[in-house]
Order: sequence, then C-alpha cells, then structure tokens
Amino acid sequence: MHHAKITDNLTYPEHENTHKLFFGIAILGAIASILGYFINPEQFYFSYLTSFTFYASIALGCLFFVMVHHITRSEYGVVLRRIPETYASFIYIFAILFIPILIGVETLYLWTDEELLATDKLIAGKSPYLNIPFFIARNVLYFTVWSYMGYKLYKNSVAMDKSGDWGLDTAQRKIAGPGLFIFGFTLAFASFDWMMSLDPPWFSTMFGVYYFAMTFQVFFAVVILTVLFLHKKGLLTNTIRIPHISDLSRMLFGFTVFYAYIAFSQFFLIYYANIPEETLWFYHRLEGNWENFTYLLLIGRFVVPFLILLPAASKNNMKLVGIVSAWIVIVHFIELHWIVMPTLHHYGMEFSWIDIATLLGIGGLFMGMFFRQFRKENMVSNNDPRLEASLNKH
Amino acid sequence: MSQNLTYIPEPELVKGNHTFGSITRLVGDIVETPAPKWWYIAFAISNALLGLLLAMIAYLFYEGTGIWGLNNPVGWGWAIVNFVWWVGIGHAGTLISAILFLFRQGWRTAINRFAEAMTIFAVMCALIFPGIHVGRIWVIYWVFPLPNQMQMWPNFNSPLLWDVFAVGTYFTVSLLFWYVGLVPDFATLRDRVKSKWGKIAYGVAALGWTGGNRQWQNYEKSYMILAGIATPLVLSVHTIVSFDFAVSIVPGWHTTIFPPYFVAGAVFSGFAMVMTLMLITRKLYGLQDIMTINHIEKMNIIILVTGNIVGFAYIMEFFIAWYGGVEYEKAAFINRAMGPYAWAYWIMFLCNVISPQFFWSKRMRTSIVASFILSIVVNIGMWFERFVITVTSLAQDFLPSSWGYYSPTYVDVLTYVGTFGLFFTFFLLFLRFLPMIAIAEVKMVLPQANPHNYDEDGNEFKKIAEK
Repeated sequence: MHHAKITDNLTYPEHENTHKLFFGIAILGAIASILGYFINPEQFYFSYLTSFTFYASIALGCLFFVMVHHITRSEYGVVLRRIPETYASFIYIFAILFIPILIGVETLYLWTDEELLATDKLIAGKSPYLNIPFFIARNVLYFTVWSYMGYKLYKNSVAMDKSGDWGLDTAQRKIAGPGLFIFGFTLAFASFDWMMSLDPPWFSTMFGVYYFAMTFQVFFAVVILTVLFLHKKGLLTNTIRIPHISDLSRMLFGFTVFYAYIAFSQFFLIYYANIPEETLWFYHRLEGNWENFTYLLLIGRFVVPFLILLPAASKNNMKLVGIVSAWIVIVHFIELHWIVMPTLHHYGMEFSWIDIATLLGIGGLFMGMFFRQFRKENMVSNNDPRLEASLNKH
Repeated sequence: MSQNLTYIPEPELVKGNHTFGSITRLVGDIVETPAPKWWYIAFAISNALLGLLLAMIAYLFYEGTGIWGLNNPVGWGWAIVNFVWWVGIGHAGTLISAILFLFRQGWRTAINRFAEAMTIFAVMCALIFPGIHVGRIWVIYWVFPLPNQMQMWPNFNSPLLWDVFAVGTYFTVSLLFWYVGLVPDFATLRDRVKSKWGKIAYGVAALGWTGGNRQWQNYEKSYMILAGIATPLVLSVHTIVSFDFAVSIVPGWHTTIFPPYFVAGAVFSGFAMVMTLMLITRKLYGLQDIMTINHIEKMNIIILVTGNIVGFAYIMEFFIAWYGGVEYEKAAFINRAMGPYAWAYWIMFLCNVISPQFFWSKRMRTSIVASFILSIVVNIGMWFERFVITVTSLAQDFLPSSWGYYSPTYVDVLTYVGTFGLFFTFFLLFLRFLPMIAIAEVKMVLPQANPHNYDEDGNEFKKIAEK
C-alpha cells in the first residue's frame, strides 16, 4: 500500500487553548443569560430558543453531510470530513441544552395554555400531537437518534485513523443509509415542534424541508469558516487546499439557490392561494419593521451571495468566500430570529441584549466542545481509503 | 461490528479491459452495421401505435373533447395525468446529464446520452397533451402572448402559461445540451462510416469537429455552462407543473411541499424508465461492459432515495392534513385512502413507497430481474400518483351534490397508448442512427485517460486491489 503524503501536522497544536477561550465565552454568556432570565423571562426563553435552533442546525447540517459523504463516496470531502464529524459528535449537549426550553415550554408555546384550549377548537384539535408529554418524548427520541449517529460516525472514523481498517468504511455506509432516512423524518418533525408550533394554527408541509434547506446552506458556510480559521493558524494548509475550498464554495453557491427555491416556493404558494389560516404567518412577518427583515432575507440570503459567488474566479478567492460565508451565518441567525420572534414581538423586531447573551452562551459551549474534541484526534482522517484521491484533487 | 466487514472498493466504470479503440468500435458498429431483425419488428409496432395516436388526435380534432371521459366536477383527466407523467419521465435525463455532471459523477457517462434522448422524446409526448386538449385547436397559438388587434392575452398570473414557457425552454435547452454532447461523436462516426450519404450527414452534424485542443477547451466550457443552465431548469419545470395544482385552493392540491415533491417524483419515475430501457438495450446490443451492474446498482440507489422522498412527502401531506385542522383538507385525504378511488391510492402507495424499499438489499439492487420488474412497477405507481392527485380532489370537491366519478373512455386510453408509439419510434431511430453511448465521455473515465503512474517519491503506483 502506498501512502499519499500529508505534509501537514495532523494534530491541533497542544499549546493552543482555543477551547478554553470559548468555554470562557460560554460562562460569560451563561451568566448574562441567567441575568436576562431574571430581568425578562419571556424574552429570555424566546432568545434562547432562537440560539438553540441556530446551533442545532449547524450540528445537524454536519451530521447530514457526513452521512451523504459516505453514501456518495465523496472524494473532495475526505480531507475536511473530520471537521463536520467533530461538530456532529456531541449532539448530546443539545439534549441537555433543551432542558431550559422544556422549563419554559408554557411561555414559549401557546398550545400549552389550558384556558386557550378550552375556547379555541382549532388548537384543541391538535392536542393529540401538541401536548407536553408527547413533545418531550419526541424530543428525547430526536436527540437520542442524532447523538447516537453523530457519535458512532465519529468514533468509527477515528478508529480508522488508528487501525487503518478499511472495513470501517463499509460500517459507516451501513449507518449512513438508514441514518439519512431517519434524519429526514426527525429533522422535519423537530422543525414542526420547535418552530412551526410556536404559531399553533399555522401549518406548512414544506416547513421541514425549509429548515433543512437553511441548515445545509449554513453548513457549508460554517465549514468554510472553520477551514479558513485553521489556515490562519497555519494548519492543514497543504492538505485542505484551494481546490477543496472552492468545491465547498460551489456547494455553498448551489445550496444558496436551493434554499431560495424552497423558501420562495413556500412563500409563493401561501401568498398565491391566500387562505387566511396560512397567510397570517407571513402577514405577521410583513408587519412593522419585520417587513424590512423579510426583504433583507430575500436580498441578503439569496440575491447578494448568488451574484458574488456566481463567477468562477470568486470561488477561488478565499477572502471573498470567507466574507460571504460569515455573512450567510449572520443571515441564518436573522432568519431564525425572524421565524421565532414574531410570536413574542408581533409588531416589529425588538432586538434585545439577551439575544446576544444566549447566542454567546450556547455558542461558546458549542465551539468550545468542538475545539476540545478537535484537538484530541487527528484533524484529517489519515487512513481513509479515498484519501489519496482527495489529496490529489486539482 | 466493523471487524467482520470488508472494504468494498469502487468498481471500475468500464469492465472488460477496453481500449479507446474498442470503445469506439463497440458503439460505432451499432450504427454502421445493418439493423437487426428485432429492430424492424419493434419499429413496425411503434409505427402502428404512432398511427393510432394520430388517428385518435384526428378524431379528437373532428369531434372535440367530449369524446374524453371528462365530466362536470372532473374537468382534468387523463390528459394532464399523462402530461405530468411524461414530463416527469424526462427529468431523469437532465438529472443524469446536468446535475450528475456538476457533481462530477463519472458513472453518468455510460447512460447520459441514452437518458437525454429519452428526455427529449418524453417531453415531446408530454407536449402533445396540452397541445391538443383545447376545444378550438385552430387557435392553439393563443397560448403564446402574441400581440393582436383584439388585445387578447393569456393570463400571465396562471401557472398554465408559465408551463408553456418552462417546458418550452426546458425542451430547447435539453436539445442543445444533447446536441453539444453529440458533436465529438458525430465526428467519430463521420470518420468511420463508409456510405457517402452517411459521411455527409454526420459531417454536417459534426460542425467541422477535428478534436483539436482549442475545440475541446471550448467544448468543455460550453458543456459546463449548459449543465449550469439545465440544472435550475429541470427543477423549475416540475416545480411549475406542481404549481398548476398547488396555487389553487382545491383540497389535496394546495400544499407547500408540492414543488420539491414533484421534482423528486419526476426523477424517481425517470430513473425507473431509464432502467427499463437500459436493461433491454444493453442486453440486445451487448453493452454490458459499459452499462455494468455497478451502474444498475447506483441507479437503484437513486430510485430508493427519490422513492423515499416521495414517501416522505405523502406522510407530510397526510400529517399536515390532520394537523392543519382544515375540514376539507382532512376530508380530501380520508377520501383518497378510503373513498371511491382508494384502489388507485393504494396501488400508488404500494408501487411508490413500498416497492422501492426492496432496494435496501444489495442483492435486489444488483439483480437484473428485480431491477427490471421494480422499474416498471415504479412507473405504474407514478402514473397513478398523478391520477390520484388530479382526479380524487376534483371528483369530491366542496359541494357534495356535485360529486361524481370519473372513468376514461377508450379514446383516452388509446391516446395514451399511442404516445408510446411516438416515444419508441423516435427512440428506435435514435438507437439506429446515433451513438447511444457518449463515446468520447466514456473514454475520459477509462483508467488510460488519467495516467498518474508515479507518486511524489517516484515509486510506481500499484493497483489498490493489490493492497
């Protein structure tokens, strides 16, 4: 067996304390969030839910990518796969992070209001699905399944680093196939539970696909940013090279269009048919200054990245790709905010410092966990059967 | 668990130690040697069916749409079902040629030419139905927004008009894409055929292709651009077809998941059709080295994936019909599963959701018999899907007093059967006169085309199999 040569250092430098920095941010964010809870509990819960769906979507996008990578035997992805693998390896923290949402479930979700249920037949009719015990049970199921898949895919991959047992590649494919099937359903129902049911009368069959489309777009942005961060530290510069990043940019471009397609189709069909029980959701998002954000999403999340990433040259321009990726991460947060917050602030966006606090709290923990895990193992799966092809990519 | 598993390397795309020359011979000889006997028989049958189609259309023009089974609640019947079905069939071709190209899937080269041809003929079959379904056929050009002294315009707010543009653009781009891909192969045939007329015909079609470096550069660039244009087009076509239903407020039609669900369904049925035709063709022409079991398995995986997306959409629709709490929506779905058309619904469900699940097993995925049977089952299922959507929602609408039951007439059935005549007439002509495999592209995926024999230290590479 011949080895393609990885000339870079394979491990994250020991003296780097990136994870500690992030854990520090997490603690500060947590303190601020707790403060926020005592000052304005309602605002806290909604801010928390927004931040939660934001980071969960990143981890889930990573999980999805890893599974697709194995199913399609992707070559370009081999050198960078450890990054999404690591992000998806600790989804169990989201199970713990979900506890505050369960505590605040009566503040967040109208369908828990017994008085309302007594008078509102429409919402009461949904109570076989929308009730607290079943809500908890479903979420336990989601997190169990995702955590297991993410952890197992990571463990197998790390085991292959050490043993060089290519049979593990087959094992990964055996997880990924059924995994994708389960992922599709769990993600859709999770999006219904977390976000769609905030407005209990409202419904859209597309909503699960919509959350997925956002998730997979932001996934590429996050991976690009992580790679660029490593490059900035002088890591993996000869392993994950420009051809790999420009492939990621192509995917980012493609899934920007896909996102726009899904988001627009959902809006358009509801707008065109104009049935009151459906249009209200969008109506609220066109009230007050929410309207500005609606247009910001259209232009900021689709038109601008589309035009910037369209020329072939811009996909090789790392600076530009980095800026667009960072921008997409920001707009992704704005979009989740735009989905969640109108339930609380009906007549316009009221950005609160608690939004920042929860974002930093969960984000610090999420990124800290990532770097803590990332420095433990190789940054590249150096015994992968398709490593050669991936390294030789041009 | 992992200890017992062995690594399954990616199989080689072309089997049988072919050289560049032998690939050219394998494909070129089909065109250059006289057609086999079965071809003439199949062509005669197809022509007869084509004649039937023309006769049915003539009868329709003479008599009007009253000869179809349409009745008052059900104003859309087999014509739109067949239209959507045929357009859907076409989608696999573009998916294979454009989307798999953008994703750099080397295995597409074995089947792309074939599937693209199928796309074009399927779209032709599809276009017949909106073309003939109007009562006053002599003013069919009114579907186009042509300036006229009466200031009569089609309704620009209607997805039916968008369909005209979407399908028209799609057909044009598919044809161009197919033709651009054919140019190098036309040149190969021009240089090989013996007959004078053949030389002239292929020569004209080859546009003076000599295979020079500059030509290949321009070719690759234009191919990439066309793939980039074709990709959103293929999504837009079936999206707009789904809009025909989904923009309305008819229960069972108006649901937001329709666009991606229709696209997935289209790819699902299209791949099944490619599979059916490919399994026959590879056997009859002995192309098993190029269209290998590996290709069949990969296509079956796509059928499994898209089938499950369709199943996902069915479940979402059903769940939201209940969750939404809208009386009519609930009724529409209960009606589908238990009403007068329950038989059609369960055929659809069985064929589209249950049958592809067999492909979870590698044995089934790599079995030619199973692939053949299931590919036909899937296409039956997808036809019924369109039937279920169109007819059940119309037959039982908001007003129970106007409920009805729709049955097709013999004209409906024979028109549909006739479109197969059109499809296979063109398809057989394609098999006879054009290279059914992209010769130049298959050569590009041969190991000889990518000679990297030494690693960075100058050691000779050994094959992975020898590891």
